[in-house]
Amino acid sequence: MKKLISALTVGALSLAATGCSSASGTQSADSFPENGKSIELVVAFSPGGPVDTAARLIQPVLEKELGTNVEVVNKPGAGGQIGYTAIANAKPDGYTIGSVGSPSIVVIPLDESRGAAFSREDLQPLARQVVDPLVIAVQPDSPYSTLKDLLEASKAKPGEINATTTGQMGGEHFAIAQINESTGAAFSPVHFSEGASQASTAFLGKHVGVLVGNVSEVVDLTKQGKAKVLGIMDSKRSDILPEVPTFSEQGYEVISATARGYAAPAGLPDAVAKKLEDAMQAAIENEEVIEKMDNLGLTTSFQNSQEYGEFWAKQEEDYKAVLPLVQAK
Amino acid sequence: MEGESTERSSVSGRRSIAAGQAVIAMVGLYSLVASIELGLWSAMGPGAGFFPAVLGAVLALLAFVWFVQERAGIHRSESGDPLDHAHVWAVVISLLVLAAALPFLGFQLVVFAFLMYHLGLRAGIGWIKSAVISLGGSVGVFYLFTSVLHVSLPVSSLLPLNMIGL
Amino acid sequence: MGVVNELILGFAEAMTWQNLLFAFVGCLLGTVIGVLPGIGPVAGIALLIPLTLNLDPAGSIIMLCAIFYGTTYGGTITSVLLNTPGEAASAITAIDGYQMTKMGRAGVALTIAAFGSFIGGSIATVGLVLAAKPLGSLGLLIGPPEFFALVVVGISLLVALAGRSMVRALISGALGLLISMVGIDPVMGAPRFTFSMERLLDGVSFVAVIVGVFGLSEILSYRPGKKPVSVHAPGFRSLLPTRQDWKRSTPSFARGTGIGFAMGLIPGMTGSVSSLLSYGAEKKFSKHRAELGHGAIEGVAGPETANNAHANGALIPLFTLGIPASPTIAVLMGAFLQQGLTPGPTLFAEHGTLAWTIIASLFIGNVLLLVLNVPLVGLWTSILRVPYPILAGLILMFMVVGAYTINFSVFDVFVMIIFGLVGVGLRHLDIPLAPMVLTLVLGPLMERSLRESLDISHGSFIIFAERPITMVLLVLALLIIVSPLLKLRKPAALAVDDPES
Repeated sequence: MKKLISALTVGALSLAATGCSSASGTQSADSFPENGKSIELVVAFSPGGPVDTAARLIQPVLEKELGTNVEVVNKPGAGGQIGYTAIANAKPDGYTIGSVGSPSIVVIPLDESRGAAFSREDLQPLARQVVDPLVIAVQPDSPYSTLKDLLEASKAKPGEINATTTGQMGGEHFAIAQINESTGAAFSPVHFSEGASQASTAFLGKHVGVLVGNVSEVVDLTKQGKAKVLGIMDSKRSDILPEVPTFSEQGYEVISATARGYAAPAGLPDAVAKKLEDAMQAAIENEEVIEKMDNLGLTTSFQNSQEYGEFWAKQEEDYKAVLPLVQAK
Repeated sequence: MEGESTERSSVSGRRSIAAGQAVIAMVGLYSLVASIELGLWSAMGPGAGFFPAVLGAVLALLAFVWFVQERAGIHRSESGDPLDHAHVWAVVISLLVLAAALPFLGFQLVVFAFLMYHLGLRAGIGWIKSAVISLGGSVGVFYLFTSVLHVSLPVSSLLPLNMIGL
Repeated sequence: MGVVNELILGFAEAMTWQNLLFAFVGCLLGTVIGVLPGIGPVAGIALLIPLTLNLDPAGSIIMLCAIFYGTTYGGTITSVLLNTPGEAASAITAIDGYQMTKMGRAGVALTIAAFGSFIGGSIATVGLVLAAKPLGSLGLLIGPPEFFALVVVGISLLVALAGRSMVRALISGALGLLISMVGIDPVMGAPRFTFSMERLLDGVSFVAVIVGVFGLSEILSYRPGKKPVSVHAPGFRSLLPTRQDWKRSTPSFARGTGIGFAMGLIPGMTGSVSSLLSYGAEKKFSKHRAELGHGAIEGVAGPETANNAHANGALIPLFTLGIPASPTIAVLMGAFLQQGLTPGPTLFAEHGTLAWTIIASLFIGNVLLLVLNVPLVGLWTSILRVPYPILAGLILMFMVVGAYTINFSVFDVFVMIIFGLVGVGLRHLDIPLAPMVLTLVLGPLMERSLRESLDISHGSFIIFAERPITMVLLVLALLIIVSPLLKLRKPAALAVDDPES
């Protein structure tokens, strides 16, 4: 019975997918988008989350730029895998595009046990909207006042100092692995798979000594004097936390960030891709959108498709290097 | 006559309970076996398969204890009222068809047909009354959710139907 | 900042028109669920969870809480007017309530019940306010090991929820835990029991399982043959109790509140235990005890006050400790978790304003329930005149909508159908469903917090013995588990015929 039903479901889903895309018919690139034909913007996360909010913010501007309806469609599930699969397997005609976020988009195809039905090559980047670098922080009364103190202390007592993550193979876990790998420190990750708020509660209650998290998450803690941020894992300082030095300023080459942008199934006709990329740029750099994103604590950091593609490739390379370290033994 | 039939039904009740115990034991054993492959213990304590393995073993054990108890007549389970099998199948199969057809034909069409089947055909409520209620339950609910509550319900993926707003 | 200040801030938040609207809609829906036959509070709340996922956390929880205590009142209406309780906690009300209806005093019974619910609910909420601060301030002391111990206490309640047979209750609990294990595990990130289906990587949807097991299976087990009912809504004038009625009800309100509140605090007690005990108290202590059973107002006032005091009192262990004391509360807890909120001491530390807003809205909700229900009694009774097939058809339709909107996918509809059949099977085997809901909610929390604790201690189990709070809680759990041996659990007579357990 179960097997039958699962077969039915799979059949239904795949038929639905082909149904959606085959409906489009043929068109020449110049006429994109066809009159009255709407574009689906797939969001691989639930309504109301940061990815969804960002997509809904740019949607009206995109509609104006492209001159057609843009529908935001939520396909949440499996940490983004369901939605990403839907984007990657859609017909590359420009009528299906989607939000993508790293590290999930990079990590899901890399992790074989997840059996993802798409790879990095099945998607082509359109634009990056947001980058939210990771930081490392300690309690205000902690004996460590610089990144160097902390790393040296961890080296001296390998494995003794704990640091939070938001789950096995999440961005923070990769960051910790990168730090351990390139600086010789030895932090033990403690995975809070329910999410960032659980991790910061444990940090505030001093159950875990070191907090690894996004800039947007630690801003409030820093303002309230509940956390001392020792370093930011980005190439330049953050506008929100200008007093915090980067890792490289302190002599450690670690760059790690959560990034969000938009992508389409690979193989778009060039003209279609160009149109979409231009529209994306206009929408992301729209002042009103930027202001609203700032209010959400997310700094807009636009990159065009080529730059975003390179950024993506770099992340993939970084993650691949430490993948064996984050996979459970 | 009366006594004989209750006895028979209680015999079949006992049988179905034994079958249920067997199914539960199987589920337990299956998860036990499947969990062992997941790894019972890792460097940092219990592994991915540890809890399911324990649970599987416990489940199988409980099914066995229950079987023994039932045999001995301790805390005998009282099988509820016998089911109306025709009703169960009608509801389950209509729901399965509904779920399978939902992505193709869209919410409004499928749910209209579903409600017509249950009201007009099965319950024998007058056709006009059924049609009105079904229309409210399908088209009405669709617009309530999509327009008022902003919760999207499936639309048809077939182009001609999609074009006319189904 | 004192409790009063925070509560005032909470009121300010809760009084926004959106939040008032959510509380209002919640009370309305809750009452409908209570009135409708064939859909109890557990399935009803689960069914409405997906609808609230689009709301902001405060709005969604306010609405679900309102639904939760609205159901208690809805059940009363059918008890009084039809002699068929819509919900177990109001079963005992039917005895005197229906007699009053026969005497033409249905309106009085319903008004007194509404008023009693209001008093019981409000006083219990005051209790929540008083308990919240001291327990909530423990928030930051609760690290993963303490949290693990709390969850263990919660799971040990299985024993308290066991009906006739401990073995079958444990089977139900173990099945719930196994279902909760499906998906990517929190330990190694490995997919477990997903049968290579992507959809299962996130686990089986909690809402779909509950709606299937509690809601769909109820409809599937329906046996036709019930005669259509005829009910008449009481006229508006007959709604007003006399001075004599008020005078006689007052001591019953007081007794009901005390009993309901105390029982609500004890994990594993359901609302029906409270109303039964309260009826017993009336029989023993009321001046008019001879009239009980023949339409005495005390027989309505006492139990109805008790079950609402119970419903609101039962939120105390949930809000302050994160322990769901009954299946309905477990479903409510599931809704919290889906909103990314973990009930318990950490709730006040992480989301203080939100927690106080919800508490403030409980007061508002109790007022709303009072003003809403007395005039609307006529509307509720008209629902009961709708033939069963139409109700069943529409309920099925809403179940499909509810399951679909969890992830906007028909997959969850199939999950719901499968678990509907599982539910029928379990009912047939006389396996209680309540322990399953409890473990379904608590299972993932238990495994996660164990993993986090061991991460912190680098794999050493000594961490649980080193921390005093953890030790106390674990010992408490042990006591609860062995309590049947000490004959401390709820009397068998009360456990029978309680569909909630």
